[in-house]
Amino acid sequence: MIEENSMDETDRQAPLVKCRLCSKPMAEVLVCDYCHSLNPDAATMDHFTLLGLPRQFDLDEETIRAKFLALNREAHPDFHMDQSDEVQLLAMQMSSAINNAYRALREPASRAAYMLELLGGKSSADDKSVPEGFLSTILMLQEALAEAKAGGDQAELERMGAVLRTQHDGLLHRIAGLFGELEEAAACPAVRQDLLSELRRQINAVSYVKKLLSQVN
Amino acid sequence: MPPILGIDLGTTNSLAAYMTPAGPRIVRDAAGNALVPSVIAFASGVTVGSGARAHAVENPLRTVYSVKRLMGKGIDDIHDDLKYLAYPVTSGRGGIVCVNVDGREMTPQELSAIILREVKSRAEAALGETITQAVITVPAYFDDSQRQATRDAGRIAGLDVRRIVNEPTAAALAYGLDRKDDATIAVYDLGGGTFDVSILRVAGGVFQVLSTDGDTHLGGDDLDMELMDLIIGEIRKRFGAGLEFPPATRQALRNFAEATKIRLSTEDRATVEVDLGGGRRFERVITRAEFEARAGQWIDRTLGHCRAALAAAGVKPSQIDQVVMVGGCTRIPLVLAKVGDFFGRTPYTAINPDEVVALGAAVQAGILAGLQRDTLLLDVTPLSLGIETLGGAMGKLIMRNSTVPCQAGETFTTYVDGQTSVDIHVLQGERELARDCRSLGRFQLKGIPAMPAGMPRIQVAFLIDANGILNVSARELRSGKAAAVQITPAHGLTREEVTAMVKDSYVHAVEDLTAHRMIDLRNEAHRVLAAIDKALAGAPGVLTAPQRAALDAAVADVKARMEGTEPDDLYAAMRAANDAAAPLTQAQMDEVLRKTAVGKKIDEF
Repeated sequence: MIEENSMDETDRQAPLVKCRLCSKPMAEVLVCDYCHSLNPDAATMDHFTLLGLPRQFDLDEETIRAKFLALNREAHPDFHMDQSDEVQLLAMQMSSAINNAYRALREPASRAAYMLELLGGKSSADDKSVPEGFLSTILMLQEALAEAKAGGDQAELERMGAVLRTQHDGLLHRIAGLFGELEEAAACPAVRQDLLSELRRQINAVSYVKKLLSQVN
Repeated sequence: MPPILGIDLGTTNSLAAYMTPAGPRIVRDAAGNALVPSVIAFASGVTVGSGARAHAVENPLRTVYSVKRLMGKGIDDIHDDLKYLAYPVTSGRGGIVCVNVDGREMTPQELSAIILREVKSRAEAALGETITQAVITVPAYFDDSQRQATRDAGRIAGLDVRRIVNEPTAAALAYGLDRKDDATIAVYDLGGGTFDVSILRVAGGVFQVLSTDGDTHLGGDDLDMELMDLIIGEIRKRFGAGLEFPPATRQALRNFAEATKIRLSTEDRATVEVDLGGGRRFERVITRAEFEARAGQWIDRTLGHCRAALAAAGVKPSQIDQVVMVGGCTRIPLVLAKVGDFFGRTPYTAINPDEVVALGAAVQAGILAGLQRDTLLLDVTPLSLGIETLGGAMGKLIMRNSTVPCQAGETFTTYVDGQTSVDIHVLQGERELARDCRSLGRFQLKGIPAMPAGMPRIQVAFLIDANGILNVSARELRSGKAAAVQITPAHGLTREEVTAMVKDSYVHAVEDLTAHRMIDLRNEAHRVLAAIDKALAGAPGVLTAPQRAALDAAVADVKARMEGTEPDDLYAAMRAANDAAAPLTQAQMDEVLRKTAVGKKIDEF
């Protein structure tokens, strides 16, 4: 329910945004259609709203990138050098907000973590748990990786990389499924809470796998 | 309106370019030279460029080079460089590096400003316009202090620095300006003192840096030092282990080493001859294989950075569509071979590796001037930014390779009742402990309303701008009051110091002095030329044809130098013209003597 609500809110709110300089309603969230000034509220919007993307886990990376580039074509400080200090500062803040949003949403794992935060789930600092049995798997993988690295075994390292990538993709698949279930369970707070906790564990697990993957490379 | 100048302020050479409707153009002097050696000689006056380079051997203590290596550094950071620098380096206020020439301490910022001013005046001479704004390039891996130092140098040189742009990014701009296809490229930039590698995605006017890696202390200088070590080692073996090298010899060896390195790029062997005085001569043939045996480890280090950059970008070597080579060192065959092997493709070398960065800086200047509205450049910050947390750990706020500008916030509070200020130690780097990271300085938040401990909530915004330079602002959330942020830079100049330097700039004095001397010399040159004309008219047929041709050439040279801005060059040309006119003046003198003698005889008789 919550995520449905927020979506509705976004849809309702979008036309209500008014340009602070000319007071005309802003069709786009970022730039006023009438006076081409930047919308100061953009810097405080959530990442999905700012980039003009639906609030969902299943998003194509190239679509996100296209939004990120299109918005930077308007907001990047390079294009506001001849304007007042105030506008230049605004451009810098807005461009950083766009860049932060892109960074947070680009990769599925961080996108999932951000969605979880929006949905009211616990942060990784408050809940460090992982799925059952995952810890022993990761410890085993860690040992094997250290051994392969120490021995300089390139073939084994590549095999480890493949194993980890499979793990990574599997976890993301599970996460996508959980977000789907969450939509269906919107009416039931207890189920919803369980799903949020499970999402946290899966997302924590992805971070472990990603850390190991970075060591393979 | 005069263009915004794009300046490549290099360790070894500097140069400029500017944007025209037809594309970026390099600034060249009348002889077609673009490169200004980044060397400053303090002799009778101040000389910059090739003239200064020539001074280095006879005047090693007053010839300053490789200043870029000292930019934004503390004396402790450059310990390894000291033994290779012939000029004296001392520790200034707060451990900042200073160069000491004849007892005068000069910061790297002031010295770089002298080079920038020279580049600027050459551009002004070429364009016939006064330049006030510039885009200056820096190695992508430069930290905040080094970037600020570069910007300050520009300000001291009287330039409004519109942007600090990363060298590999600039190179990519120059390379990919007219490319429409979507490509992932690697820019490999091995310069005189620094190494950078950047991975970019380039498509239809968008230049997005995906990652960057590098070493601000790895470059051609290191290869020169390898050759110097080889030569010095053998000289000591032959003439005694205790043999000390005076600065002039050291400088000569440095020049030999550099020349040898360059020669070995096109030839298989190069001969080094050193006159050590006292009849001791050292001669040695160095083969390319010997050089490569010593250079290999340095090049391998650059490949480690390439590997890291690729991993950070999430790109495999096979996914790189083009490897763009930048910097003079990429002419070295071993570099081309190793980089080619690493990426599995022949590197792209069609653009002049010395000029591509300046061209790209001009493109960026064009974007900022609104001439390139369809080009979007998105760069990244090379190092993670964080603060020292309790227990001396580094708490990261902005991760490296984040697209800039980017912002992060952190909330601070007080530990003591009524505390009105909070200290924040800002760091840059990837290590876990604060002491292993680079200290950017201490920020003191002042003016916090007196409240019980833990009550104030000070929201601090850390913003890295498009220059890659940090801006800090703070606000106390309960009172809504902006807190004053006072910055004590670890290895930089305070705002006040820069202002003072701009105002009372030694550079201005140098320029004034040079301009004054030039005016005097021009007047004298007019007199010399008039005297030669008169002598030619008064004594026709005295000179042989070759003598006449030599004189004409010398006169033409004087006229050309009178148009220039180099007093030393004009002085040299005047002396040459006087020498060429010597037979003429001799004939004139003889004639006068003869007439006098004749006259006397008439008188006598």
